[in-house]
Amino acid sequence: MLVYALVAGVLFGLYFSLVGIGLNLVFGVMRIVNLAHGDFLMLGAFVAVGVATLAGIDPLFAVPLAFVIFLIVGLLLYWVLVPRLQGSTNPEMLSIILFFGLSQVIEAVATIFLGTSERSIPSRALGTVFSTIKVKLFGGSPESGGGPVEIFGQGFPASWVIAAITSLVAIGLVYVYLYQTRLGTLTRAVMSRRDEAFSTGIDVDRVSAAAFGIGLGLASIAGVFAPFMFGSVTPAFGADATVTSFAIVVLGSLGNPLGTALGGVIYGICYMVVQTYLSSWADLLPYVLLIFILLLRPSGLLGRRVRVA
Amino acid sequence: MLRVIIAALAGVTLTAQAYAAEVPTEIKIGTLYASSGRFASISMPVYTSLKLWADLKNADGGVYVKAFDKKLPVKLVAYDDQSNTATASTLYNQLVTQDKVDLLVADSGSVLTAPAATIARDHKMFLFDQTGTGASFFSKDNPYIALMADPVSTIWPKPVADFVIHDGPALGIKKIAILYSTNEFTGTQANAFRKFIKDSGVPVEIVYDQGVPTETTNYTVIINNINNTHPDAVFTFGYAPNDIAFLRNVADVGVKFKMLFVIYAGLEKELLEKNVGDKGLEHVFTYVPASDLEYPVNFGMNLPTYKAAWDKKNSDGKLEFGLNAVAGYTTGLVIEKALSVATSLDQMELRRAVFSLSGNLKTLCGPFALDETGGQTGELTPLGQLEPDGHGHLKFVSVYPHDTATGKPVYPRP
Repeated sequence: MLVYALVAGVLFGLYFSLVGIGLNLVFGVMRIVNLAHGDFLMLGAFVAVGVATLAGIDPLFAVPLAFVIFLIVGLLLYWVLVPRLQGSTNPEMLSIILFFGLSQVIEAVATIFLGTSERSIPSRALGTVFSTIKVKLFGGSPESGGGPVEIFGQGFPASWVIAAITSLVAIGLVYVYLYQTRLGTLTRAVMSRRDEAFSTGIDVDRVSAAAFGIGLGLASIAGVFAPFMFGSVTPAFGADATVTSFAIVVLGSLGNPLGTALGGVIYGICYMVVQTYLSSWADLLPYVLLIFILLLRPSGLLGRRVRVA
Repeated sequence: MLRVIIAALAGVTLTAQAYAAEVPTEIKIGTLYASSGRFASISMPVYTSLKLWADLKNADGGVYVKAFDKKLPVKLVAYDDQSNTATASTLYNQLVTQDKVDLLVADSGSVLTAPAATIARDHKMFLFDQTGTGASFFSKDNPYIALMADPVSTIWPKPVADFVIHDGPALGIKKIAILYSTNEFTGTQANAFRKFIKDSGVPVEIVYDQGVPTETTNYTVIINNINNTHPDAVFTFGYAPNDIAFLRNVADVGVKFKMLFVIYAGLEKELLEKNVGDKGLEHVFTYVPASDLEYPVNFGMNLPTYKAAWDKKNSDGKLEFGLNAVAGYTTGLVIEKALSVATSLDQMELRRAVFSLSGNLKTLCGPFALDETGGQTGELTPLGQLEPDGHGHLKFVSVYPHDTATGKPVYPRP
C-alpha cells in the first residue's frame, strides 16, 4: 500500500507542480497574488473538453492551443490591470481584492455559458495521438490505449503518467526560459529586485507581461489535465485549485518557480499517504502544510537558496 | 332591536373588509438555489423543476388556496447561496425575517438543507425539505419539517442492505467494503447500511469501512487499498462528483470489483453517462429513481408528460434529467395540494395539511408517506443494475425487492 501511495504521490505531485508553477512565476515577478489562477486552470479544462468533444481529437492538442490562448489573454490582461495596480500604494493587498473579483467574474460568466453540471473527457481519449502513430508505424490495435500503466507491478492511470510527463516537460521549459534565454535572465533580475532592475534600464513592464502571460498559459495547460486528474470539472472548480496551488507555492518557496516543483511532489506524496492511512483528514492537508511551513520555515523549503543566489 | 341589527350589520361589514384586506395578492414561496459551487449540479435541477411547477401554475391562474377560497399566483423568492452554508444561513434568515415568505422551501441536498432546518425551527416556520434526507433533521420534538421527494437516509439504503442480507450469501458475497463521503446525506446512508448488515446477523464481514471528505475527487489510492482487502462487493456513498471520479478511477487503474454500488449512477444517470461513459457504468448497481420508473399518479403530471415539459423548458441541454429534476416539481405538487386543504397559512396548519396528504397522495416520485417526524417513507427506490440495452445505451434492471424486480443481478461483474 505504501509503495503504491508513494508512486501515486510522485505522479500526482508532479501534476500539482504544474498547477502551482504559473502562480509562483506571477508572484515572483510582480509580487501580486493571482487569486484567479484556479479559474484560468478551469478555463483550460474547458478548452480541453471543447477540443475533445467538439473537434473529436486528442485533448493533448489542447495543450499548445490553451497555452497560446491564455498567453495572449495574460498579455492583454496585464496591460489592462497590472500597471494601475503597481502604481497603487499597496499593490500586493489590492491585487488580492482585484483578482478575487476577477475570479468571481470568470466563474459567473463560465456558469452562464457552460452550465453548472460536471463535464469531463473519456480517459481513453488522452494520448490517442501516440497510439495512432504507434499503429501506423508498428501496427497493432488502436483500441489498446487508455489502459493502466504498470509501475513496480501496480496499475496507475495512463492519464496520470501523461500529465506527470507533460508537467516535467513544462517545468523543464520554464527552467530553460529562466536560465537560458535573455528574457528569462531579465525575468530573474526583476524577481530578485524589481526597483533595481527598473533603475538599470530593464523594461520591467515587458518582462512582467511575459511572465503573466506564461503564468496563465501554464495554468491553462494544467487545466487541460484536470478532467482526468479530478474526474470532472465545473465552473466552480477554480477556487479549490487556487488554494491548493497557493499551499504548494508557499511550501516550495514563494517567488521561486522551480521550488514549486519540489513543493508539488511533497504535497502529492503527503496527500496520498494521508489518504491511505487517514482518509477522512486528506483534504485538510493543504492547510496543515501551509501552517507548518509558515511556522517552521516561512521562506519555504528552497527559500534560502534563492536569497544566496 | 334596531340597534342589535345595526351592530350586527356593522360587524359583518367590518369583518368582510378586514378579510378582504388580509387576502394576499400572491403566495410567496421562499427558497435558495446554488448556481455555482459543489452542489450546483444537484441544486439547479431541483430549483428549475420547482420553477417549472410555479410557471405552469401561474399560467393557469395560480394555485387554489383554501384559506382564502380563491386562486392566487405563486411568487418564487429565490436567492443564490453558491453552495455555501454560511451564505445559505444568511439568505434563509432573509427569506423569513425580511421577505416574510408564506412558505419556506430548502435548497437541494442535506448540506444546504441543514441551515434551513435550524432556522425554520428557530422561527417556528414549517420547512418544505425537498431532498435533504439527513437523519438528524427529523425528530419527534421538531414539528417544523417534512421531506418531500426522497426517502429519509436512514431507510433509503434498506433495499441495498436487504439484497446483501437475503441474496448475498447465495451469490457468494461474504466480504464487503464501504466507502462514504463524510456529510449528512451520504454519512447517514453509510451508517444505516452498516447497521442493517450488522443487525441482520448475516455472515458478511466488513473488510473496509472508511470515510473521505466530500470534496474528494481522486480515489486511485483508495481503490488500490480497497482492492487489497479482496471484497466481494463494494458500496460507495457519495455525491455525483464523487461517484464520477470514483468510477473513472476504477476504470483507469484497471481494477474489477465483483459488485460495485454507487448512488448517483441511478439518481443522475444522464450526468454520469456523460462523464463516466456507458462502459464504466455497465453492471454497476444503483438506486432506480423516480425519473426512470413510472409510478401511477393521482395528482400532477405522470413521468412521460413531465419529461416532455422538462425537455421543452431545458432544450439547451445544460441540465440533465434525473431524480433532482423530478424532486422540485414534486415539492410543488405537495405545496399545491397542501394549500388546497389548509384552512389558513399558519405554519402549524400547513404542517397539518402536509401530513394529511401522507398515504393519500401519489406523484411521479411514488406514494407520498411521512412518518411522525416528517421523514419520507413512501418514495422508496429499489436496487437496480445498469445493463446494456442492446442499442448502445444503458437501461435499468430492477433486481431487489423481488416483487418489483425486472431481472436478475449480474454477479460477479464481467
